[in-house]
Amino acid sequence: MKLLLPFHLQKVGAGFPSPATDYVEDDIDLNAHLIKNIPSTFLIRVQGKSMNEVGIHNDDLLVVDRSLNPKNFSTVVANVNEELIVKTLIKEKNQSFLTAGSKEIKDKINLSENPEITIWGVVTYVIHAL
Amino acid sequence: MLYNNNKIALVDCNSFYVSCERLFNPSINKKPVIVLSSNDGCVISRSTEAKSLGIKMGEPYFKVKKIVKENDVKTFSTNFALYGDISRRVMKTLKQFSPKMEIYSIDEAFLDLSSIKNENLLEHGYKIRETVLKWTGIPTSIGIASTKTLSKAANYVAKKEVSGVINLINLKKINNFLSGIKINDVWGVGRQLTKFYIKNGINTAYDLKEMHNSWIKKNTNVFGSRTAMELRGFACLSLEPHAEKRKNCCVSRSFGSKVTKLEDLNEAITTHCLNAAEKIRLDKQTVKKITVFIKTSPFQMGNNYYANSKDVDLPIGTSDSIALIKKALTALESIYKKGYKYQKTGIIFSGLKNDSIYSKNLFSEINNDEKRIKLMQAIDHTNTRYGRNALSIAQAGVRKKWNVKKQYASKIDTACLCFLPTVKIS
Repeated sequence: MKLLLPFHLQKVGAGFPSPATDYVEDDIDLNAHLIKNIPSTFLIRVQGKSMNEVGIHNDDLLVVDRSLNPKNFSTVVANVNEELIVKTLIKEKNQSFLTAGSKEIKDKINLSENPEITIWGVVTYVIHAL
Repeated sequence: MLYNNNKIALVDCNSFYVSCERLFNPSINKKPVIVLSSNDGCVISRSTEAKSLGIKMGEPYFKVKKIVKENDVKTFSTNFALYGDISRRVMKTLKQFSPKMEIYSIDEAFLDLSSIKNENLLEHGYKIRETVLKWTGIPTSIGIASTKTLSKAANYVAKKEVSGVINLINLKKINNFLSGIKINDVWGVGRQLTKFYIKNGINTAYDLKEMHNSWIKKNTNVFGSRTAMELRGFACLSLEPHAEKRKNCCVSRSFGSKVTKLEDLNEAITTHCLNAAEKIRLDKQTVKKITVFIKTSPFQMGNNYYANSKDVDLPIGTSDSIALIKKALTALESIYKKGYKYQKTGIIFSGLKNDSIYSKNLFSEINNDEKRIKLMQAIDHTNTRYGRNALSIAQAGVRKKWNVKKQYASKIDTACLCFLPTVKIS
């Protein structure tokens, strides 16, 4: 997967030998921007519902890095009940919870009470088509 | 040969294909899982749970079907697109632990750890294992020793340990350790040699190590004495970081169902040529000779059995798919016989040479002209970007009726936008 876009600093006019040639910087490499650690980063597609609070929608592409450790409010992919599911990780008083993105208490899963649940990776970017 | 200070780690992925299938499918964790070879023929990867049900490596699928059904063993056809991508990720992760590394197979690599202090080796092994698991999700076992053969032996034992790492460097009781390894589990000792050794009272790695060199030299071959030397800690095999370029390239497949028509065989041969030509272009090589072969099932008795092959020498080396296909199809037509049920067909490209100098020959029908070379580059480029067979040749067929059975394949490819793994939100 390789995608390079030339990055122009000025608008380019037609007809006249372009004075902008000197201003063409290096190509933008979106891969380098989105993927910091190549072997541990996976692209995963969202299927089904959306997670509006975090800005993730059905059919979006998630950039997921397995090498990162999740922080408070990280969006993560977790292995819950034998399925990979997107959740928000919340840390409170030495305890960690998974939520569906909202701050409501009812959908919290306490990780220390559910040791079978594991964090699969940390979502670093969402690629959303408009 | 050096009696040496080498420290070599063999990192081997545990049940690699099964582990790849589990990566995006947690519902099969802790359950018996097997992966079948192409055409769903034999078992080629088993989870620990499947091993303890008594399913053997390489066993034909039909023989284990009963166990599979009774124990709800999760069964998968191969998905090499996925395994290949995960393998690349594992190797890239390993690369940062050693500047010198030899990729030995899709799921094994030797690392040179000579720069690590002896007392830190075990810790380093744990670190490698932990990182590969975290980054790629693939569990591994690691054997560390002074030669490749010893590191293989260490790895063999590490597989059964919870810690997953065994270090033989400076191990005082190395003889005890080697006594625990059966001769047939020693790297480089095949089935025939095992029989011979056992007949002569050599039952373990230790027995072979203690055997007199002159006896081994006299009774086996250079490989036999090399193995014994390596068990004694003399390095005979060095790390080979650069894979040698291939000398020939074979692509063949068994058919999903028996094929009788020439046109279906044409499709198969064309597809094989396209695959092989792409591989050799990637390695910047050209082909000088093509071999085409066809055969019916060996289980077809008497007059129903037919197998034949045909060699074609090319006037000049080329990597032009179109030229290669034309030659291969003519060869196929010359050996094809009506009325047989063909089970397998394939091609071998040989006389592979570096393509740095494209030969020209005014009088040959193949002439490697600039335009054709560019066309091939364009096809390869398009296929790398948009997936295998985005651009193909009509002769290769679209439906591929003859294609292999892959009943149980997971449809995930982590390196292709159309087949990415999915997650849910809830």
